[in-house]
Amino acid sequence: MAGMSKNQLLHAYRIMQRSILLEQVVLRLIEDGTARILLHSGRGQEAIGTGACAALRDDDMLFYSHRGVTQILAKGMPVGPLLGDFLGRVDGATKGLGAGIVHAVDQSLGIMGSSGTLGGGFVLSAGAALGARKLKDDRVSVHIFGEGSANRGTFHEAANAAALWKLPMVWLCENNGYSVSVAHREATSVEDVADRALAYGMPSRIVDGQDVEAVHEAMAEAVARARAGEGPTLIEAKTLRFRGHFEGDPQTYRDKNYLDTMRERDPVKLAADKLAAMGVGDDDLAAIRDEESQNLETAVEKALKSARPGPERIYGGLLAEGGAA
Amino acid sequence: MTEQKSEATRTLSYRAALREALIEEMERDERVFMMGQDAGPFGGVFGVSKGLTEMFGADRVFDTPISEAFIVGGGVGAALAGARPVVELQYADFALISMDEIVNKAAKWRYMHGGGQAVPLVIRAPEGVVGGLGPEHSQSLAQYFWHSFGLKVAMPATPADAKGMLKSAIRDDDPVLFLENKSLYNRRGPVPEGEYLVPLGVAANLRDGDEVTVVAWSRMTTIAMKAADELAEKGIGCEVIDPRGIRPLDLDAVLRSVERTGRLVVVHEGPVTGGLAGELITQVVERAFGKLKAAPVRVAGNDSYVPQNLDLEGLLTPDADAVVKAIEAVMAAPTTKD
Repeated sequence: MAGMSKNQLLHAYRIMQRSILLEQVVLRLIEDGTARILLHSGRGQEAIGTGACAALRDDDMLFYSHRGVTQILAKGMPVGPLLGDFLGRVDGATKGLGAGIVHAVDQSLGIMGSSGTLGGGFVLSAGAALGARKLKDDRVSVHIFGEGSANRGTFHEAANAAALWKLPMVWLCENNGYSVSVAHREATSVEDVADRALAYGMPSRIVDGQDVEAVHEAMAEAVARARAGEGPTLIEAKTLRFRGHFEGDPQTYRDKNYLDTMRERDPVKLAADKLAAMGVGDDDLAAIRDEESQNLETAVEKALKSARPGPERIYGGLLAEGGAA
Repeated sequence: MTEQKSEATRTLSYRAALREALIEEMERDERVFMMGQDAGPFGGVFGVSKGLTEMFGADRVFDTPISEAFIVGGGVGAALAGARPVVELQYADFALISMDEIVNKAAKWRYMHGGGQAVPLVIRAPEGVVGGLGPEHSQSLAQYFWHSFGLKVAMPATPADAKGMLKSAIRDDDPVLFLENKSLYNRRGPVPEGEYLVPLGVAANLRDGDEVTVVAWSRMTTIAMKAADELAEKGIGCEVIDPRGIRPLDLDAVLRSVERTGRLVVVHEGPVTGGLAGELITQVVERAFGKLKAAPVRVAGNDSYVPQNLDLEGLLTPDADAVVKAIEAVMAAPTTKD
């Protein structure tokens, strides 16, 4: 198995720390009333977006999940526009519409957006792969989604079309075991979502979603396959959702000891262990954390100075330039 | 976009005019492709894309699985990737299967992601009460999309409009739901020679008149014109306006007319309750109540489903007689403003 280089792993560690720190800051801003948003925490699942995006080119297209902060950061968006969105400021990615559930896009980074309805991204991402094919370029489309949404009919329609036409598509499932409050086994007919790939004549892989290297390796193989015109791949990353579905979720549906067992499987800790084995010292990792923390605080200060949108913002962007609804 | 029409015309069917628009736009722009159920070599169940797969290859015009969420959602994704897809829903009724993709994705993607992305998608959808196709293959459903503020809705009534509006729709950076009335596919009419566009959201004035404004969409324009002809013989002058769609809505064209005539009758094929007329009349009343000499009247489809029985189907939607009666009632209404 081709592992990640030290530099790749260091970058992955940095992205995961950036995501964790950003989420901590956002939780602080929610706590003190500055950010009035609903947040779906991605804590515990950082290795998936990070490992996946490390295998992508800037122009590859990412349709990220509702727990997508790490995925967006890993694809290259700075923290500023995201903070602006969390705070509902005009300098945010959506220019003040606000977003606890992020809807940032940046075409130049291949950050294509996220469906609000769960499972809505399957058909769109397959369509983007189709678009790349029709435009005769070699971009790959990637959709990261939660296992619960694979029960939507859209999964079937998109998987069938993508496999039928051998579209340049990678489906990456984050299986954290819960659809909001409902356990996987209570809602899904198979233990492994990856099994469903067989029905579409599509290869699949199951990987440890806590291991950034394992995700990267599976992703690199799938991306190469997609780019070569050999069709889509379904990757299922088994992972853990450390926090509730949303902030304030009472989590009455799972064992209180869950958290203790999860700490051992913290993706950032596992990445740090790998780096230590490569001879990277604690000081180096602490320096990365400090640098990320400082950058973040600067970005928060800047975002807080950004203006709040006026009421006219409600009507902005309904139609293309010059076209009001 | 400006309306450019040369003087010379030839006679084409609505179907052939649509086909010509597709051919011209696919020749003009390599990013344009078309897909739908049976839309490939078969040419679509209504024959609009006949021969196009042969002409442009199976990469450009092709069949899809029976997967309406994918047909529309895949179109949205391809548009986001930079292509200019035209997707065909076999029947407009199937829009209801792909409602999340039309209403939540095509229409909202630009808005909810901050305005930075365009969705240049055309969704062609044959609608209309004709042919005994029954409750799930016959609806006229533009009214469902009043609230899709990021979606343009076009409803061409003539072959010339069908061609010019489809070309405009394909070039538009917004998603366009393009509702083709099935009963119009064989309608023949003059179509300009050469390149021309008909802008979306600009009403057509089909007939001048001073006494009553009749607004009608799509197939109902032919019914409204027939009624206007009959009433002209009785000395009643009807102005007939075709808004050509519902978004953008050319309310000004209707207001200008109503301010002169003081009377308004609105005709459409879909059910009367919550239909196109209710909203249009409300907008007119809010702005021009003082100019109205009589209460506006709706003439629309009955509040039921479309039976397969052709005798019953024919009773569902207004005929010219119903429009004549409505106009006569509006003319006869007591008024203190004459």
